[in-house]
Order: sequence, then structure tokens, then C-alpha cells
Amino acid sequence: MGLADKSRLKSPWMLHFDTGSCNGCDIETWALLAPKYDIERFGMLNKANPKHADILLVTGPVTKKVEDRLRNLYEQMPEPKLVIAVGNCASTGTPFQHCYNVNGGVAKVIPVDVFVPGCAARPEAIIDGVVLGLKVWKERAFAQKDGKGDKETEVRE
Amino acid sequence: MALNLSDAALQVALFVLAPIAIGLLLGIDRKVTARMQNRVGPPIVQPFYDLFKLFAKRPMLMNNGQVVFAVACLVLQAAAFALFVAGGDLLIVFFISGAGSVALVLGAFSARSPYSYYGSQRELMQVLAYEPVLLLAILLIGYREGTLMVRDLEVNLLPGLALALIALFVVLVIKLQKSPYDIATAHQEIVSGPYVEYSGPYLGVTKLSHWFELATLLGIFTLFFWDENLAVSIAGKLAIVAAAMFVAQVIDNSTARLTRERMVRFTVTFGTLLIALNVVLVFLSKEGVF
Repeated sequence: MGLADKSRLKSPWMLHFDTGSCNGCDIETWALLAPKYDIERFGMLNKANPKHADILLVTGPVTKKVEDRLRNLYEQMPEPKLVIAVGNCASTGTPFQHCYNVNGGVAKVIPVDVFVPGCAARPEAIIDGVVLGLKVWKERAFAQKDGKGDKETEVRE
Repeated sequence: MALNLSDAALQVALFVLAPIAIGLLLGIDRKVTARMQNRVGPPIVQPFYDLFKLFAKRPMLMNNGQVVFAVACLVLQAAAFALFVAGGDLLIVFFISGAGSVALVLGAFSARSPYSYYGSQRELMQVLAYEPVLLLAILLIGYREGTLMVRDLEVNLLPGLALALIALFVVLVIKLQKSPYDIATAHQEIVSGPYVEYSGPYLGVTKLSHWFELATLLGIFTLFFWDENLAVSIAGKLAIVAAAMFVAQVIDNSTARLTRERMVRFTVTFGTLLIALNVVLVFLSKEGVF
């Protein structure tokens, strides 16, 4: 593993986006930044700017109104990037699955790397999700070196 | 003046090692800040991880001008520091470093983005706040010692210019982008100001130029202590830098951001007042009053 790959795993900057969540998962995501969970010890920073971010943490079932904005944010993030769907709503859209104003999950709009279940997803589960995402990243980096191309590998926790 | 080979080697070594030292200093800064907030904090080599990651990201740019200005900023800040290390004129160092800040502002203006515009307006406001203080402090050093060449400043400035050092500390807080004067990069307010439209390697370039900018300013801090004994001299210089950084961290963690008007008002009044007092003291000691 080269210096660039190692640095990438050690410095994942995150962007949090709420796509119509009830704020339950958002509160748990913000708890990560506070002293109790302190994700800065893994080098993670909340950047609030897609151009600086490596990881997109999405909460909420993705309403029709917010769909374009989510796609826009995703496209503004420079490669390589990770998308983590936090909570049941972001994963599948439950309990808003069949609502007329909801897409039903982040994966309907942009490719998702890791799904974190829970209502609301616990901070520990979100940290686990990020670690899993970094593992996916590492495997993908090696796959690229072996010439297998960067196929989207979806991993369910 | 003929420069002998070992001097040149030492200067090149200093030029290469100083940014690494600044990176470590910023890493320690993040660790200490985390401990003050009862957190564990990142490893002290974290700024290097961030920098290498940024350089390894896929480039994305708004326009070519943005990249040109980012590189110009890096070149100017590195040139200013190189001149400082080579023992050049402090005033020229100041002007080149100032041109670097302007290049950063122009780069931010080149992207059509409200946050970027707003950030660069605020960056200009910061320049307006700290440049008079920095310039007057440098001129005061020149007035007292009769020279502005770094290589000739082999005298302990601290007893005579203590007030100027306190004024320079305000400049350090602004340049470190710390509360209460993190006006331009106000992260909860305008995301990251002039850096907002930079991404990947270009953000890395602006970060590296900021390291050089800090290296130049902290270099000026180190000029205040000097001793016949090289070991004592180096220890004293490091002590000044460490003390300044620690006080900046305490202030950062115990204050909220002020408005830009208050920043300008404070630096222009308090900073220049301290330097004016110091000028009077230097004048009196030159006249032999004490």
C-alpha cells in the first residue's frame, strides 16, 4: 500500500446531507463529532463542502424535491469517493417506502457503497459503516492495480 | 558576499525542513486542541495524511485561472520563505508574502461562487488588519538595529522589542485562522471562505502555501531571540514559537468569532499603539535616557 492509499484511509473527510430525515439519524451523526465518539481521532473531519469531502453520509428517504440536490452534491465530490446511507430510511425508504413524494432510498438516485441499518442508526454503527467503507475502498484500490477495473462493490452490513 | 558551501547546504536544509516542522506543529496544535476539549484527537502526523490524500485525489477545477493563482500563491510564499532563510531583506520578504495572499484572493475571485467571493472579501479585510502591524513591526526592527537583513540581525531583540512581539502575536492568530479572528475561513458561517472552490490537489497546493506563509511569520518570531551559544539560541527560538502557539490555542478554545469590523478596529488600534509605544521606548534608549 502506497503513501497515497494510506493517507486516504487515514484522512476521510465527510459531508453530511439530510434528504428529508426525521433528524433522528442526523443527531446520531452529529454525536460522532462530539467528545464522546470523537471521530477526529481517525482523521475524520466534517467539511460541509462537497469539494473537500471524501465520504458522503446521507440520511433520510430522499424526497423527490431533494433528489437533484443529492445528485448535484455527489457529482461535485472529487474521486475517489464513498457514499454511506445512514439509517433505514436512507437504505430502503422505510416507513415512507410507497409515499408519492419519496424515492425510497439513496441507492435509487446515486450508487451507495455501504448501508448502515437502524432507526435511528447508532453512532457506533455509523463508525462501523465508515470503517467498512474504507475497507471497500482499499479492496477497490487493489482491484484497480490488478487491472480488474473499478466495479461498484456493494456491501451490506 | 561569497557564500560558502556549508552555509548554502544549511539554508537548503532549513527550507525543506521548515514546512515539515510546520506540519508537525499544526498536528500538535490539533492534538492539544482536542485534549483541551476532552477528546483524544488525531495523530500528530495528521496534517501530512491530509496533504498527501489531497494530492492523490482526482483533479477537478472550475477554471484555469484558479489553478494559476493557487500555484502563484505557493510560489510566492515559498519564495518569501526562501529569501528569509537565505538571510535577505525582511521588507522584501513581507512584500512577497503579501503578494502571495493577494494571489489567493484573486484565485478565489476567479470562481463564480458567492461563498468564494465573500471569503475573499474577508481575506482582504484580514490583510488590511494584519499588514500594517506586521509592516510597522518590521520597520521597528530596522529602526532599532539599523538593518533589515535577516543575516545581520544577530542580537537579542526580546528585551527592547517585547511590545512589538505582543503586537505580532495578533498577526499570528489571524494567520493561523484561529478564533476570534478566523474571519475568512469561518467554517460554520461561510464554509471555508477563499478555499471553498478548490478541491483535491489544488486545495493541497493552497494548504502547502499556507504552511510556507506560517513558516515565514514564525521565522520572524524566532528573530526575537539570539544568543552567543548556538544551543541556547535555538532553544530560545523554539520556546518563543511554542509559547506563541500555546497561547493561540488557549485563545482559540476560549473565544467565539468576532466580526470583521472589530478585528480591523482591534489590530489597527491595539497593534499599532503597542508598536508606537515600543518606538518611543527604542527612541529613549537610543538617546540614552535609560
